Amino acid sequence: MKVSAGLPVGVAALLFESARARRAVETRLVDRLEAEGYGEVILPVLDYAEPYDSLLTATGRGELYRFVDRGGDLLALRSDFTPMLARLLAPRLASLDLPLRLFYRGDVVRYQEERAGHLRELFQLGAELLSDDAAAADREVLRLFLRLLLASGAAPVEVVLGLAGALDEPLLRAGRAMGPDGPARLAAAVARRERGVARQASEILFEVVDHGLPGNPAALGEEAAARLADLLALRDDLAAEFPQVRLTVDLAEFARQARDPELLQAVGERAYYDGIVFQAHAGPSGLAVGGGGRYDRLFRGLGAAAPAVGFSLGLDRLCAPAPVTASVMEVAP
Amino acid sequence: MIRLALPKGRNLGPVLAALAAAGLAGEEMSEAGLGRRLRTTLPGTGIEVLSLKDWDLPLYVEHGVADCGFVGSDVLGEVDGDLLVPLRLHAGRCRLSLIGKGPGPPTPGSQVRLATKYPATARRVVALRPWGAEIVRLSGSVELAPLLDLAEIALDIVQTGRTLAENHLVELDEVEEVAACLVVNRASFQRHRELLNRWIGRLEAAGVAS
Repeated sequence: MKVSAGLPVGVAALLFESARARRAVETRLVDRLEAEGYGEVILPVLDYAEPYDSLLTATGRGELYRFVDRGGDLLALRSDFTPMLARLLAPRLASLDLPLRLFYRGDVVRYQEERAGHLRELFQLGAELLSDDAAAADREVLRLFLRLLLASGAAPVEVVLGLAGALDEPLLRAGRAMGPDGPARLAAAVARRERGVARQASEILFEVVDHGLPGNPAALGEEAAARLADLLALRDDLAAEFPQVRLTVDLAEFARQARDPELLQAVGERAYYDGIVFQAHAGPSGLAVGGGGRYDRLFRGLGAAAPAVGFSLGLDRLCAPAPVTASVMEVAP
Repeated sequence: MIRLALPKGRNLGPVLAALAAAGLAGEEMSEAGLGRRLRTTLPGTGIEVLSLKDWDLPLYVEHGVADCGFVGSDVLGEVDGDLLVPLRLHAGRCRLSLIGKGPGPPTPGSQVRLATKYPATARRVVALRPWGAEIVRLSGSVELAPLLDLAEIALDIVQTGRTLAENHLVELDEVEEVAACLVVNRASFQRHRELLNRWIGRLEAAGVAS
């Protein structure tokens, strides 16, 4: 009987050289994480679906692979490490000493429309830092993120920094005038840098689309303006320390990373970031290779108060050349 | 070096005209200059031009193979990746419309077949209408479907309406305006920000895009 070597859409097999190259990068990054004092956690690939329900947006829910187990429990394949880790740590926090430095590696599985370069099974490596000193933790995690990107060997490395919720106020103010789903549509338009829409909506949103930053940060609101000043100072420090990395602060990139509950549900992004956020491009792929941010809200949602920041890197994209996948881009004539 | 993807087909003329109006296109960046070459390096400019089909162009830009390009918003509605879309050109605008033999759109509560090259857009359109539709995906000559009763209605691009009139079809409902859009890869935008902002500024100043 002839056996097919085909694979389902969105998964890839790494054979021989591509497997060796992936493991070599993984080993380098793990060595670096351990050298920096981060301890490994190994998490299950199966979990109950129910604990995450309140944390998921409609988009996140649609990405889950869920099924009913033989015992009748609704289970989900792991789609994200961070919420699972937070759920396991939240009830144990009282007995743990902070700061807590953790790292993980493994596959996450997310349903995605069939598109070239967008796998449904992704190998991630990431780190989390739980620490009461939020500013120092943000700095430490970002430095680690940059070091890992450089250690991966991918070049050039470009990282964009932003703040979750920084644009909520102007998006809500201008978006409500556009109708019931106006704020969400406006957030999407700003994230896509649609100049015509932003120009019509408000001056500050147009400035952000144009330059990444508002001309007058105070127009973002007092709290957001103060957070932005801290972020710019952090960017300057890191730029001096990592001259080989292009570091940019750009609020438009993260317009959909909201903090306001109304906007959050409407835009449908992963819903737990509430402070600094960042995203990296590295190497030959034009797609983002990793990102992260501060997610204190995630722990609050689980009934625990723990300041936490972390990131993940997608090794499928970070390791060049990109592996051959079963995914086929359907192209109409 | 920055790679600019230009679309083959109906959008190429308006795109080249807009670039010329903004002073961004020399003789080489014309239909005659580009000829049938798939890639053309424009001497002394640091620009390489890729000639791509509309439907492939978003994929090239999303993956960073091309840093930026121009593509119709009708195509973006179907194969939109994680792209920046800073500008829409004014020239060459047309509309995506429901067409059929008439006299009007399907009656509320009815179920019809809808032929189109744009199934994702069609699903969004039908979701907002008081009638239902089975979407029939076609790859061309969509107007024939209602004419020959393969489907009661079709969703397709209407430019002047002359083809419809010549075939005794009517525009039942205008769904959305279609424009050629500048699309940019996210990483490329940060990398070539100064240059791209200069191009964007010149296209806006020339009054050919917004």
